[in-house]
Amino acid sequence: MTDAFLDPLPWLIVLPLAWAAMAFLMGAGRGARLAIVALAMQLFLALILATQVLESGPVTHVVGGWGAPLGIDLLADGLSVAMLLLTQAVALPLAVYAQAYFSREAGQFWPLAGFLLAALNALFLSADLFNLYVTLELLSLAAVGLVALGGKPAQVAAALRYLLVSLTASGAYLMGVALIYGVYGTVSIATLAPLMGSAPPMALWLSAGLMLTGLLAKTALFPFHFWLPPAHGGAAAPVSALLSALVVKASFYLVLRLALDVFPNLTALVAPGLGLLGAAAILYGSWRALRTHHIKRLVAWSTVAQLGYLFLVFPLLAPDGLALQAGVVQAIAHGLAKAAMFAAVGVLMLATGRDTLEGLAGVAHRVPLTLFAFGLAGVTLMGLPPSAGFLAKWLLIDAALSHGQWGWVAVVIGGGLLAAAYVFKVLRQAFLLAPEDSRFQPVPRSMEWAAFVLAAASVVLGLRGVELMALLAQGAP
Amino acid sequence: MKSALRLAVVLLALVLAGTLMAAILELPGANQSLPAAVAAHMAVSGVEHPVTAVLLNFRGYDTLLEVAVLLLALLGIGAAVHAGSETEDGGAEGDPVLAALARLLTPLLILAAGYLLWAGAHRPGGAFQAAAVLAGAAVLLHLSGQMPAWSSPGLLLRLGLAGGLLIFLALAAGLLGQGALLRYPPEYAGALILLIEASLTISLGLILAGLFLMLAGRRGGA
Repeated sequence: MTDAFLDPLPWLIVLPLAWAAMAFLMGAGRGARLAIVALAMQLFLALILATQVLESGPVTHVVGGWGAPLGIDLLADGLSVAMLLLTQAVALPLAVYAQAYFSREAGQFWPLAGFLLAALNALFLSADLFNLYVTLELLSLAAVGLVALGGKPAQVAAALRYLLVSLTASGAYLMGVALIYGVYGTVSIATLAPLMGSAPPMALWLSAGLMLTGLLAKTALFPFHFWLPPAHGGAAAPVSALLSALVVKASFYLVLRLALDVFPNLTALVAPGLGLLGAAAILYGSWRALRTHHIKRLVAWSTVAQLGYLFLVFPLLAPDGLALQAGVVQAIAHGLAKAAMFAAVGVLMLATGRDTLEGLAGVAHRVPLTLFAFGLAGVTLMGLPPSAGFLAKWLLIDAALSHGQWGWVAVVIGGGLLAAAYVFKVLRQAFLLAPEDSRFQPVPRSMEWAAFVLAAASVVLGLRGVELMALLAQGAP
Repeated sequence: MKSALRLAVVLLALVLAGTLMAAILELPGANQSLPAAVAAHMAVSGVEHPVTAVLLNFRGYDTLLEVAVLLLALLGIGAAVHAGSETEDGGAEGDPVLAALARLLTPLLILAAGYLLWAGAHRPGGAFQAAAVLAGAAVLLHLSGQMPAWSSPGLLLRLGLAGGLLIFLALAAGLLGQGALLRYPPEYAGALILLIEASLTISLGLILAGLFLMLAGRRGGA
């Protein structure tokens, strides 16, 4: 049984935990190179796991050898692996970016980022409701620590607000898990699934409501979005990128997982409401993005809007799998594009020394590669072909039409137009001539290229949709 | 306006509490019994107390992540404190009676922690309880002016803080040789669990003490 050493699944959790702890040992500001090497290995491991799942279906790892419900099982199905691939693919270029961004003043960035990635991988692989709570806790604390990293009063305030929302939300989730344990005596998803009857007791309703509310607050779905713009808009650029691209996706993934595997009978009842909140998020987030003059806030409000698309999926969930595909492709497209956008904005702010839209005049001539990356990421957010954002919206419209629910189509198209408006607002400013007295700081090339690679990936992925669909078809057994 | 909001929050909390109570009162009996499964596997768990068996063996993976959570909490506080003013704080001016008491109690507390760690194998106790006692000793030493607050931990201290997690993680990964993460061979389970708990006691004790001592440095500056 020594071939367990070659199994990629457990290493995707062990490796980031190990490098996070090592980076902490090495001391403040150290650990960048270790992180980059380890992240390259993690990407490789995720790719191996993806081929395994494609070839022979979902992979399980029985931690401790006990088996659920006594022990904890890890499960990698198509949905998990797609999220794992996104996580490693976003993290690796961002690590290269962060190495140059922080130079020597990284503080505790590397250990915090390591724990964040370990939490994400553990969350996507977990098949146990209580273990999922532990991963959520690890994820929230790492994310809060990263927001507070710079130590400016505004950052600490945003981090504390984030912490309070996140802890309350975790508490609601945990209460839900406790109720489920009270009703069924187990927290393993695989053991629970067959026990869910068609006439659930009141405790189960309450449990589902508590877990859903907690997770929506963590995902910053409208009207729980209020903590997101200060937290994502005020953090250091690599941190904003990690949070917007990955952390809010984790709680969305969990809502999707619960809806599909744990509460399939209750999902239909709340689905229209989730869709409406999603639509409101798209419109309100885009409108606020259009109104702000602070460039990073603009990108953060755009995240609020883009998260809305993810929830349009719920009223359209059907056995044909179209809506599920649309949701996952949107999560991946937005993850890559938003990481690219925050990375690009970080470069623009370093180059101009300003954080407002007005300060951007002239950047088209000084940092053209970065502006190109911003534009490419914008293409994905608007949903223009051939980007992955286009694929996501196409699938979503397809699903809406096959259900005859025309309203969602209007929301998707309207949201795309609003995205175009705020992206072009930035681009127009960038192409203006710089005022005489403006000064530009040189920016490390590795930062520009990291932003570009992420943006290019978000566009090119639209051409590789077939592989992704095949992966997603590998559902849980 | 504000009082109306407060009233709404109170009403919401009351409704939630009421619904929770109603839901719990009508809970049907669970048809799965985990305590029975735990009892059935106690013989191969390596320990005699069910709580320790669940924490370190059956659900040891949760505990591994939980240790990372505690280290993270300290990191978060470190990030926030580091940004503030750094002042050396030697603790309060020592009251001689308090100082003598602290000096007298510290060895006893260390002894008590050792006992709690050992007792965890067969009765309530274990690494977390032992670590809390150790941290209490550190806080007492600081308050009596015999231990400085921490500003930024040195290499040795960092090794102590992260050592428990690293040993736990290395063992978890090493046990992949048995076919899965944290799959103890039954004949060595007791010894391996004791090794993990002993290293966790020291690391968690330092982490819990750090949660207080890092903030104490901050308070001295204010």
